[in-house]
Amino acid sequence: MSTRLEARNITKRFGGLEALRGVSVTAQDEILGLIGPNGAGKTTLFNIICGFLRPTSGAVIFEDRAIHTKRTHEITQSGIARTFQIVKPFSDLTVLDNVLAGLGCHIYATPRVFAEQYSTRTTIEPAREILAFTDLTKWADTLAGNLPIGLQRKLEIARALATQPRLLLLDEPAAGLTSGEADELAVLVRKLRAQGKTIIVIEHNMAFAMNLCQRIVVLAQGEIIAQGTPAQVQTDERVINAYLGH
Amino acid sequence: MSIAQNLSNAMVLASTYILIAIGLTMVYGVLKVLHVAHAGVYASGAFVGLGAFNFVRPFCTPTLEDARLASNLAFWISLPIAMIVSGVMGALIYLLIYRYTWGKSPTISLVASVGLFTLIQDLLQKPFLLGPRQQPYPAGGAGMPRIETPWFMITPTQVLILFVTLILLAIVYVILNRTRIGLGWQAASLDPEMAAAVGVNVTHVIVLNFFLGSMLAGAAGVLVGVYDNMVFSTMGDVPSYKAFVVVVLGGLGSVPGTIVASIVLAVTETFMVAFAGSLMPRDAIAFLVLILLLMFRPRGLLGRA
Amino acid sequence: MDYFVSLAVFAGIWVVLALSLNILMGFAGQVSLGQAAFFAIGAYTSALCALKFDQPFFVGFFAAILVTGFVGAFLGLPSLRVRHDFLVLATMGVNFVVVAIFKYVDFFGGALGLIDIPTPRFFGVNNDIPYLILVWLYVGAAILISWYISKTWTGLALNAVRINEEAAAAVGISVPRFKIYAFIVSAALAGGAGSLYAHYLKSLFPDNFNFIESIVILSMVVVGGVGTLRGPIIGAIILRALPELLREVHDYRFTLYGGLIVLMMLFQPMGLLGDDSTLMRGLRRLFVRKEKVDYEHAA
Repeated sequence: MSTRLEARNITKRFGGLEALRGVSVTAQDEILGLIGPNGAGKTTLFNIICGFLRPTSGAVIFEDRAIHTKRTHEITQSGIARTFQIVKPFSDLTVLDNVLAGLGCHIYATPRVFAEQYSTRTTIEPAREILAFTDLTKWADTLAGNLPIGLQRKLEIARALATQPRLLLLDEPAAGLTSGEADELAVLVRKLRAQGKTIIVIEHNMAFAMNLCQRIVVLAQGEIIAQGTPAQVQTDERVINAYLGH
Repeated sequence: MSIAQNLSNAMVLASTYILIAIGLTMVYGVLKVLHVAHAGVYASGAFVGLGAFNFVRPFCTPTLEDARLASNLAFWISLPIAMIVSGVMGALIYLLIYRYTWGKSPTISLVASVGLFTLIQDLLQKPFLLGPRQQPYPAGGAGMPRIETPWFMITPTQVLILFVTLILLAIVYVILNRTRIGLGWQAASLDPEMAAAVGVNVTHVIVLNFFLGSMLAGAAGVLVGVYDNMVFSTMGDVPSYKAFVVVVLGGLGSVPGTIVASIVLAVTETFMVAFAGSLMPRDAIAFLVLILLLMFRPRGLLGRA
Repeated sequence: MDYFVSLAVFAGIWVVLALSLNILMGFAGQVSLGQAAFFAIGAYTSALCALKFDQPFFVGFFAAILVTGFVGAFLGLPSLRVRHDFLVLATMGVNFVVVAIFKYVDFFGGALGLIDIPTPRFFGVNNDIPYLILVWLYVGAAILISWYISKTWTGLALNAVRINEEAAAAVGISVPRFKIYAFIVSAALAGGAGSLYAHYLKSLFPDNFNFIESIVILSMVVVGGVGTLRGPIIGAIILRALPELLREVHDYRFTLYGGLIVLMMLFQPMGLLGDDSTLMRGLRRLFVRKEKVDYEHAA
């Protein structure tokens, strides 16, 4: 296994509040779970990895290159895509256009952005493939904002996939889903893993995370309190305390 | 002019800024709406005050004989009328417009507000209201004394402005800090939903908020009209914008911040004009300051980063 | 005849102005109340080219487009740091400052303005018809540019920026860069319109470009329909022609513009001809037999 992502000794302060304290996480080619009680700093860590926030100190290394000084769109172009805990689809675009917006990822920084139409046969075909892969084909022409939450979450994954990431960050993808939808989602994530993508999942739903992830990192109050296989983590006393103590 | 004289002039200017900007900052505090039409209320206040003044003065003259006294009495009658009409106007603006645009994108409220401001200004310009030309508001000092010291001199009209401003500020202070509705405003400006949950009637609070703020703007209109001895339909143009300089400088939604910011702006402007002269009119400089402020200190000089 | 020619010239110029604001507002979601500033910069650039440097019309015209585009990039900078409603405030400020500069700097003619700006004569024809054609060719170009942008990746990226900046960045879109693109295109279009305006009017005064003109442009876009092509075009033609054709309306035109803006914001913020407006839905129901309604399924 090669190291895809390494977050080295990340600290993030907001004024007096320390959201992350010297957190180090590495992700190999795997499905890595990031769990922890509310306010543990999980989403902050995601925001740092994808460039929405700058770490107060520490470094983020993606495929041997430091990315923590880059901006979000550059990080996305270099191969990291994410979904949002509170979904942010392009609500008044169709589902198909949402995916096309992701497909444009490697065009936006080139002059082709001015010259080429975005909706042509050569672009629609791969977009449709992604829709088929995520089971969204029949909603292709629906406005994204009109979809129910479960499908919006899927659409966010589809849009993220369209940017052709090698590392995918999923922020609570199962939140608000029925158990049937969550199962479908787990199947989808495993399929992505089988395609060779590295995936980091923030998850509140313990059962979902334990079932899906190969390795789990537990954050509490800005620090890593445990990591290991789901079985190891599940029996760790500090983890149990962190969850019950809350 | 001496420094002391400039300072005293600046305080008069600051008083008018304070009266205009407090209403704006209060509206922003609760609704988070940039209420451009507030300057329309200000101009309307001046217009109503002038109208009342001209209407009442002939009635005062025969009884008082002394034309000076009659004019003073007419002014003191016209001021509260202008304030009340402005207050009602402000409350109506909320009830008819912002109540419906609130909760949508803040840009929608702002654009509606700009539209309303345009409408008010254009109507004021019509012959059946103010007409296209500027009109005198000859109330003089309204019976105020002239203050003279070796270092500076304050004209009766300036005394009038300082006096009215201090009284109105005292009233606002008491209402905000000593009454239920004032505490309700403070609660609502922190968190409208929470305030509603603990039994504050947010609609009442907001209507009162508009009423009070617009009353002050109306008073400002009257005072500036008297000070410059002219009232004209587009007199709200500069305040529409400059009041936001004060509000942003003061940290958006903070009444004490607004007062401090008014003084800072007025002093800076006065001294810049007095000692530096300038390439552009001082108003344009204020606009430039606002653009830079919005870019680099969006929470105001006093606001927390 | 002359009257209608001049009406059509002005209508054309305002159609371009509305389209230019639409690129900012409708495409990139950046509401600007300083569009008259770009209009002014274009007009003054072109007029000064003719008056101070003796250049022919077309040199001034393209100089106007270039200069305004450049200034647009610069004046777009606040949009990178300032939240939406505060951006509106900042652009209002830009309008005031630009007018103040033209008014107080002698090089630009000051408050007395610029006079004797030459009107180009084409093919020896001694009336304004060729100029009218030129104006509407420019309108056609503006429509074409707007349409083309909406079809390209740039258009998609601008849409993404308008809807959600974070999500846009997360699909690899440089939000600042595309905002500035929108400002450049929008400003350049308005600048060209300014040039056409200057050489038709033959004289320019700073007050021609007051804040109220930005409001007029805004009202055209919001009445017509933000983000569509038909909206700003029809909005501009109606709101420009109405006051000219009806005397009563002319006296109250700013009341009308202001009132319309308020009403639109209250009842139909996306405009009368916006994609999801009551009017368009009604028209669609009339003319489109089978409407795909699968939203209920989704919910």
